[in-house]
Amino acid sequence: MPLQPSSSAIHVYGSLDASTAIQNAPRTPMSVTIHPVALFSILDHYLRRTDKQDRVLGTLLGTRTDTGVEVRSSFAVLHSETSEQVAVDMDYHRTMYDLHHKVNSKEVIVGWYSTGSNLNTFSALIQNFYSQETAPHQAIHVALNTGVDDSEPAGIKAYFSAPVGVFPRPENCVFVPVPVELRFHDTERSGLDLLTSTATSPNSTSNQPLSDLEILEQSIQNVSDMLDRVLAYVRSVLAGEIKGDPALGRYLMDTLGASTDDLEKGGFNASLQDTLMISYLANLVRAQAEVSSRLALVTSA
Amino acid sequence: MSENNRSSLQVVSKILKHAREAPATSAHGLLLGLDLDGILEVSNSFPLPHHSGDEDDKSSKFAARYQASMLRSLKEVQADDSVVGFYQATTLGAFFHQNLVDTQAIHHDKLRHGGIVVVHDITQTARGNASFRAFRLTAAFLDAYKTSNFNTASLVSHRLTFSTIMEEVPLKIRTNPLLSSFLGSLSERYSTALSDSPPYAAADSALPPSFSVLDLGSAGLTKNLEQIAEALDSYRTEEGNLAYLSRQIARERSRADNYVMKRKEENITRVAQGQAPLPEEDVTRLFKIPAEPSRLESLLLLGQVDAYAKSLAGTASNGLVKMYAARAGSNV
Repeated sequence: MPLQPSSSAIHVYGSLDASTAIQNAPRTPMSVTIHPVALFSILDHYLRRTDKQDRVLGTLLGTRTDTGVEVRSSFAVLHSETSEQVAVDMDYHRTMYDLHHKVNSKEVIVGWYSTGSNLNTFSALIQNFYSQETAPHQAIHVALNTGVDDSEPAGIKAYFSAPVGVFPRPENCVFVPVPVELRFHDTERSGLDLLTSTATSPNSTSNQPLSDLEILEQSIQNVSDMLDRVLAYVRSVLAGEIKGDPALGRYLMDTLGASTDDLEKGGFNASLQDTLMISYLANLVRAQAEVSSRLALVTSA
Repeated sequence: MSENNRSSLQVVSKILKHAREAPATSAHGLLLGLDLDGILEVSNSFPLPHHSGDEDDKSSKFAARYQASMLRSLKEVQADDSVVGFYQATTLGAFFHQNLVDTQAIHHDKLRHGGIVVVHDITQTARGNASFRAFRLTAAFLDAYKTSNFNTASLVSHRLTFSTIMEEVPLKIRTNPLLSSFLGSLSERYSTALSDSPPYAAADSALPPSFSVLDLGSAGLTKNLEQIAEALDSYRTEEGNLAYLSRQIARERSRADNYVMKRKEENITRVAQGQAPLPEEDVTRLFKIPAEPSRLESLLLLGQVDAYAKSLAGTASNGLVKMYAARAGSNV
């Protein structure tokens, strides 16, 4: 899912020119996807920074595909920045990577993150270091704007670097933007729903566990609201208040014209009986288990 | 005790990710956070390496080393580094396992306030309801566990059934303001600058609404039923073992009793005849009465059966609601 409004900008990638490019050289990433875990870790790290730190940075772990980079997780790395120099704790970075590698061996270093969207000489130096770590692949840089400063809205940008100048030097480089998307597995979706609903609720807390029926009720409520909205739209089109959009009409037709033949042809009763049977069975098993555990406590005396 | 427990956002998503990636139900890790007398604030977590049953000594040493260096590293970047419990991924709500109980019992001794275990149900999450529950061991169970005595008498005196092994602790999910605002901007709808984009792309957001809960399919039911049958089978095997052992105990005991009785009768006759009575020997040395078997395993298995059945019942009732909803929808 895209993180920013799609813009009219086109991302152009230099084609591999046979005369200059080394054979089998890895291609530059064309897209970056980020797992929410990485985002949340970065934000947490930002919250826990010391007063002196302006921004925080850390390593991104993930996997590479042919065309893109998938960021799966991240960890914080210590660094200090003054007006003259920047220092990144490399030992720490290595230890942390080893630790992560033990648990999840599929994830490798793909790049680094920092908060704030300020790209400067230091960024180029750090980028240079991470490029060595990820060689022969390109390191990516993810700049996460936390939205704390009023000047810039919260958002995420991803870059890879290209050398610049007649004589390439580590402190000079061009950061080329790459489109970035949020990606997670379908099964994790409900977790994110839980988080967003928590974020919007008062006090930013929510109780657990929710029963399945409550969630179902919310969903059905949601669908019914949508139907109401569509109905209102269709009515106003019919009454001639708004001009109908043919594309919208098509979508509505496709969505609402779904076949329900299967349900009508006795399928409903059959599966109703199945479901009732299962429900009965489940309750029977529970009752038996309860009785059995009580009987275990009865002494023979 | 009104112990409460709050998990932060980060932990939730970390557990979700780990649980999905790890094979089967082996995902477990440590919860880090603060213990604010009565309220546990879980603020971070990290996964523990997956260990396979063998070479216990080696893997436990490895895990301990891993844990220590991870904690040290986290401390360096100002993250919370005190362990407050652990998490365990499970399927279909059946989280009663010897391992879990053992780990929690160890934690109970080590941590202030005993620590908690957060159980995350993968199947329920896949169905659209991210489920996190917090548990800790009850005092009665811990008492029995300390003496590692789970025979019938002990179960009766502690009134232990599978439902009294663990007690649930209220769990709340909390987000901090920064994350809330960030999430808010993620799920916000925005319209693109492009004028000729199709309607579905015109107003998009990073987190569009999902309706996976409304899925009518009942694919999970078969697996659930299979697992109930499996759990019942292993419960029956365990019960069979227990029955065999208790028969053996009864047999040995009656033999011992017979022996004692015989000796007494003999002594009476000997005294009557004016002879010195034979010494009453220690019967325990002559007959080996096996120790009464532990019923913990069967208790846990029964708990599993109950949990499977409970989640099956839940799914079935949900399915009913969805079916009627679908029919109502199609009849309009």
